[in-house]
Amino acid sequence: MSAASPVARRNPFARAMLYAVLAGFAVIYLMPLYVMLVTSFKPLTEIHQGNMLALPDAWTFAPWREAWGSACIGLECSGVHGYFFNSIKIVVPAVLISGLLGAFNGYVLTKWRFRGHKIVFGLILFSCFIPFQIILLPMARVLGILHIANSTTGLVLVHVVYGIGFTTLFFRNFYASFPDELVRAAKLDGAGFFTIFFRILLPSSIPIIVVTIIWQFTNVWNDFLFGVSFTSGDSAPITVALNNLVNSSTGVKAYNVNMAAAMVAAVPTLVVYILAGKYFLRGLMSGSVKG
Amino acid sequence: MSFLHIHNIHKRFGETHVLKGIDIAIEKGDFLVLVGPSGCGKSTLLNMIAGLDDISEGELRLDGERINDLHPSRRDIAMVFQSYALYPSMTVAGNIGFGLEMRKVPKAERRAAVQRAAELLQIENLLDRKPGQLSGGQRQRVAMGRALVREPQLFLFDEPLSNLDAKLRVDMRTEIKQLHQRLGTTIVYVTHDQIEAMTLATRIAVMRGGELQQLGTPQAVYDDPNNLFVAGFMGSPSMNLVTARIERLGGELVARLTAGSDEVVLPVVRDRAALEAWCDREVIVGLRPEAITDPSSANRQDGVIHEAELAVDLVEPTGADLYVVTQLGGRSINARMRPGSTLEPGQRARFAFDVSRMVAFEPDSEHRIRNPETVAPSEPAVVTSIS
Amino acid sequence: MSKPPSSRGAGARERLQHWLPKLVLSPSFVLVLFFVYGFILWTSYISFSDSGMLPDYTWAGTRQWSRLWSSWTWGIALHNIWVFGLLYIVSCTLLGLLLAILLDQRIRAEGTLRTIYLYPMALSFIVTGTAWQWFLNPGLGLERTMHSLGWESFSFNWLIDANMAIYTVVIAAVWQATGFIMAMFLAGLRGIDGEMIKAAQIDGAPTWKIYLRIVIPQLRPVFLSAIVVLAHLAIKSFDLIVAMTGGGPGNATAVPATFMYSYAFSRNEMGIAAASAVFMLAVIAALIIPYLYSELREPRS
Repeated sequence: MSAASPVARRNPFARAMLYAVLAGFAVIYLMPLYVMLVTSFKPLTEIHQGNMLALPDAWTFAPWREAWGSACIGLECSGVHGYFFNSIKIVVPAVLISGLLGAFNGYVLTKWRFRGHKIVFGLILFSCFIPFQIILLPMARVLGILHIANSTTGLVLVHVVYGIGFTTLFFRNFYASFPDELVRAAKLDGAGFFTIFFRILLPSSIPIIVVTIIWQFTNVWNDFLFGVSFTSGDSAPITVALNNLVNSSTGVKAYNVNMAAAMVAAVPTLVVYILAGKYFLRGLMSGSVKG
Repeated sequence: MSFLHIHNIHKRFGETHVLKGIDIAIEKGDFLVLVGPSGCGKSTLLNMIAGLDDISEGELRLDGERINDLHPSRRDIAMVFQSYALYPSMTVAGNIGFGLEMRKVPKAERRAAVQRAAELLQIENLLDRKPGQLSGGQRQRVAMGRALVREPQLFLFDEPLSNLDAKLRVDMRTEIKQLHQRLGTTIVYVTHDQIEAMTLATRIAVMRGGELQQLGTPQAVYDDPNNLFVAGFMGSPSMNLVTARIERLGGELVARLTAGSDEVVLPVVRDRAALEAWCDREVIVGLRPEAITDPSSANRQDGVIHEAELAVDLVEPTGADLYVVTQLGGRSINARMRPGSTLEPGQRARFAFDVSRMVAFEPDSEHRIRNPETVAPSEPAVVTSIS
Repeated sequence: MSKPPSSRGAGARERLQHWLPKLVLSPSFVLVLFFVYGFILWTSYISFSDSGMLPDYTWAGTRQWSRLWSSWTWGIALHNIWVFGLLYIVSCTLLGLLLAILLDQRIRAEGTLRTIYLYPMALSFIVTGTAWQWFLNPGLGLERTMHSLGWESFSFNWLIDANMAIYTVVIAAVWQATGFIMAMFLAGLRGIDGEMIKAAQIDGAPTWKIYLRIVIPQLRPVFLSAIVVLAHLAIKSFDLIVAMTGGGPGNATAVPATFMYSYAFSRNEMGIAAASAVFMLAVIAALIIPYLYSELREPRS
């Protein structure tokens, strides 16, 4: 429960200081988001003249429209919307496949243990902590051999493979605390491997399914390394497009368009975070500490 | 041929030897209770009967058929688990009917069977609820319903009452016993609670450290324990176990016990022939609290009563009885007296010992010292009567 | 603990049931074996080969490794990761702990504040980098704002200062991760036995002393987790640097991850890239394996 020793509960001055410090930090944390938003609604002239923190004098949606539909990324001048949909095409199958595999793995590793199950789990788990630089070179070659280099399909494969570790960890920890007696009872009742999974375990797994989906969604959506290493041009995900837009645009820098594009890239994960922050945090925690 | 025959069963987990050759046989309709302290291997044995644990060595036969390697679902066995193991996502009806569904019993037949089981256990009104909405006692009934509905050859219970509060536990105990009498089913029941074992069983198997200590009727295990462990484990308050010296006094064999600064000399009447060999040596004698009473409530018809005067240390009324603590053989012992008695600590009082119920054990091996004709390594033929 | 069921009366279905669990696990396991451990072996081999633009399996001994170690940029990258990692870990841990302790004082708007502190963790590093690049823009960002607020002499051009640029990355990275570390500490604080604190209060200890002597020492496992997580994030950091500084000005903010990427994909020096990747893996493995081992070891009963 909440602590312990509320700092000077009877001292109104200390209390006020406490709230002031916390509010100050909140302002610092919100500042970049605020500046991003405000800038994205300003005309460029206003940006060059005015104060970064000031609200726009003349609100405009033009930067958002440009970012979405007509900003130039490389030689293509059709905005980020195509890359946004690329990201969706990558995220949806990658999340579903890695989630399903993780659920099955967690089920087998807790309820159908075999000799060596700990080693198998350890090997799978370690895969989510490796620096991905170690696999960039061979992966680029394998994707080429499979003819899925520079495609969203290729990125789906990559994200599934390197997502299995975390999804397995989540489901394993969740199912480890699922009573074994239920599985035993179902076996006596005559249920087999898949029946036990789909009828007994899965209906009780909603919380961990939500955690896994949110975690995988955030990770895959926010990925940059795989996207920039294995795709270019049309098949790149949104993060790569955003970076190209911001860091290689020639001529006058359109800061307002950059900020609007950054917001487009940020909105999906922000929405998920605001709607299901509890599950987001739970994923973060079990991704770092045991569940 | 017995109905359930457990023959020389061993269980090893790697280096650890969990069960060291268990032999138990029971008949159809028997209620076998496996009882012992935690870690004695009783739950492992039950899981092996269910087919949920592999048998390392030995043979398991049900109704003549060897079932060692049969899949749990094909053994015609149902089990009630300690945690009840109700499927959280299914209704009560779904839980009870799941086993039948897995056996592809037609829906209408299934519904009728679930209804019958629910009526038997008086849970018809709960059929549409989820397990999360039930009380502990209701869950217990559903778990039993799930076992009953399949009408198996053998029921297994794994500490089914240990999660209930004291009052409910007694009620459910009675109910299980009634169910057994009504349906005549064969049951193997695991518990660490010796009162549950005494009240329910037709056969008790006392286990410790992976070994069977004694198998017999509740009365036999209670009155005629095979060793010091069984004597101390069964019964509450437990048997008084004190050191005594066997001597010959004027031709009679007696047990001499210290009692504070005094001594008490009790005649040996039971297992006399065997105790002859222990003359002038120390043994451990056991006397149940109800075998030490006030002289007026002593059972002089069936017993052999010997009286002695001892100091009262402590008086503990329980309502139904009055337990008096006194010193004997260097230990505090319990005597069960008449409730209305006006004894006070510090006072001296007369105690009546029913020496016909006194049993003796070897101090080193802790084995029972028994007359040869009544020796029964695992199961005595009849309840040993007083010699 | 499984054993094949006897063939007598078992039939194909039961045999299938016996193999099913392993069958279901095997695709994932095979994928991981190939794409993780197979790739690690391949990359390790390449680091001892003659590979340049294309893989060349001629054994070259430690040539690539000595080239890596004599590279000027690699030296900068190692220096940067030290500076960045150390500042990042220390700042996030201290700031996270501070926020957690402040939030643990029965604060009225705790839920809202927690949400605010943690939201950057949901953002992509590219978004974070873009935002901070703009926020710290020497011409139009913070500096200009301070000037217009009347602080004419304020100057902040770290982003284009080769000596200071790495610190701007630290600022953005700390902003992003502190909320998460705070959440870890907060969970740790909530797990501490309240009665112990009450006992200390009755003993007359002042609040700061209770925290210093009783509470913080009990958070040791959280410190360990936080440091491991942060170190792991730091060594892998790539996106944020690319988005904020692109490794520049010049090579000033190069780190091992950007070094590896540029040798692999722009400079076509596969051998050196592989050697740098193997080095990164070795450092992370030395950190993570003992941690995972201690975290996942089941307590012996």
